[in-house]
Amino acid sequence: MKRFAVPAAVLALCGAAILSVLAQDKPAGGEAAAPAAAAASAPAEVICFESRKGATEITQREIKPGLPNVKCSPTTGAALWYADPYEGTVPMGKMPQMEAIPEGLAVVKPRSEKLNLLAQCGTACHNGTYPVGFPKTNRPVPIPTMEALLPDAKNLQHGRGRVWCLDCHHNTKRNMLVDHYGDPISIDQSQLLCGKCHGDKLRDWRDGIHGKRIGDFTSTGKKRWFTCTECHNPHNVQDGARNKGFIQLQPETPPQLPRGFKDAAFEKTHAIPQH
Amino acid sequence: MTTKENPPASAAQEAPASGDPSKAVLKRSRRDVLRSGGMLSMSSLMGTAALMAQPGEAKAAVEWAEHFQKNYRLMTPEEKAEARLRLEKRYSGEYNKKVSVDITEAQPGVLMGYALNIRKCIGCRRCVKACVEENNQSRGARPGERIEWIQVLRMERGEFTADKMNQGYPEGLGIQVGGNAYSPAGQVLEGQYQYTPEAVPEKDANYMPIACMQCEKPPCVKVCPVRTTYREADGPVVIDYNWCIGCKMCMGACPYWARRFNLTTPVLPKEDMNPVTHYLGNRPRMRGVVEKCHWCLQRTRHGRYPACVEVCPVGARKFGNLLDPESEVSKILARKNVFRLKAELNTFPKFFYFYD
Repeated sequence: MKRFAVPAAVLALCGAAILSVLAQDKPAGGEAAAPAAAAASAPAEVICFESRKGATEITQREIKPGLPNVKCSPTTGAALWYADPYEGTVPMGKMPQMEAIPEGLAVVKPRSEKLNLLAQCGTACHNGTYPVGFPKTNRPVPIPTMEALLPDAKNLQHGRGRVWCLDCHHNTKRNMLVDHYGDPISIDQSQLLCGKCHGDKLRDWRDGIHGKRIGDFTSTGKKRWFTCTECHNPHNVQDGARNKGFIQLQPETPPQLPRGFKDAAFEKTHAIPQH
Repeated sequence: MTTKENPPASAAQEAPASGDPSKAVLKRSRRDVLRSGGMLSMSSLMGTAALMAQPGEAKAAVEWAEHFQKNYRLMTPEEKAEARLRLEKRYSGEYNKKVSVDITEAQPGVLMGYALNIRKCIGCRRCVKACVEENNQSRGARPGERIEWIQVLRMERGEFTADKMNQGYPEGLGIQVGGNAYSPAGQVLEGQYQYTPEAVPEKDANYMPIACMQCEKPPCVKVCPVRTTYREADGPVVIDYNWCIGCKMCMGACPYWARRFNLTTPVLPKEDMNPVTHYLGNRPRMRGVVEKCHWCLQRTRHGRYPACVEVCPVGARKFGNLLDPESEVSKILARKNVFRLKAELNTFPKFFYFYD
């Protein structure tokens, strides 16, 4: 150990002498670039989406001088880094088989106030009464009036067409979802609805195997839970022909090319031989 | 040159305790003899560099003290606290913000484990970028200036076909293995890192993120000639960057390509620098040292998830305490199909891939 330590220290010393000289002009360039970048990004409010586009969003702001609450990706607009994972969250509330978790340790981000249409739906047309010509059965039918409002309604891909509006939405309280007993549940607790059919996924979600959580990793710690609809679009859950549960996203930029390479063609030169 | 020094110089004006040779406490170890001897004999050599170095004596003295500190593992708690103060002062000056350098030790009863669902990964590379934001990697544009610890590997999907049912290898010798034998059904290309489609996941691809596996028998630790890299009691393999001589032996030994070398002085813009750091974790590195994933020690030592876990949009990444049967990783190990990468090398990673 000692034998290596002496040359190491000498090496480090010489390196430091060179480094300290070289370090001179480095910060000057960075400093000049910094105010320009800050001035460009200051006026516009930066909002980034969290798991998928169209679901929860988060507005960038400073929680301490020089420390943003969230960093957004410049290429895709996705949330890249959380300084404060619990911002804007509320207690998740009672969940069956999760009574052991003390109140306040499981939190979710409410989306109900963000969904503008909800207030309208409950008052304008569907104010607790069935409109004229409303179908009496649960057979899926095209809904021409709603297609203009909800582009999702046109390509409802849930359960391959076996599921329709009132299987999930409460028939009189239009801004609520519906549970097994026909009672309304909050739109922020979509897991209670989704778990009606996807029981295996609900079990994995409850145990932290499926889905996303942020915050404290210890089993007794405070966590922000992501509910089903923050990641999956319930109206287009199969993403069309791809038959996958998660919508496609734009990826972030690839890593830097190895020194001396102009493009990534080298990656395709090692095809595995076909016999 | 002269305009920029004002905040750093004032922040670092108080001379660090161990930087001043006159204040050095008399100790008996060979290393301290070397330290005082080195001060005298090398001071003329360093003097010119220190004079040219502009934030002046304070910064030079800090670097001076840093070069003569012990291997982090051999430091006493007082020396660790001293090193921490020294670094906090220097970084706060350099980056114009209050930088904290954590020296929290491994917590009792915690053994960190990681699990990743390869069926869920969509290859969006958000974990890669989050890691860069959290861990202060170099993010320049010139060759060798961009460092990413995680790599997402894209693998094209192949298929089994009925017409290859009786095909095998070798052909025509009467010895047939049959049943699509030796046709690369799961994968038709070696992995690609540089994929750039419009949208992911692609229909015919699987994605496999790799980073440091935090092995239980790490080859990198075995080969390090100066023992600067080692395993912490709670699992992660860490590096004392000050003690690293940049020989890159660990990079050659690592079977998972998990280590990166700072070929140039790291490019870390002041406004993007993450001020919450750990001594063994994400504090800014210098040129000529190796760095690697450490499961965000600055976060996980305080119970917070690593940055890559928090941003994964599909929740494919899971992190937990292996000693806690209620943790996510323990439940995955109990319930799911789990494998480790290159298990035949007997490195026993604490990073588990699973699928359901």
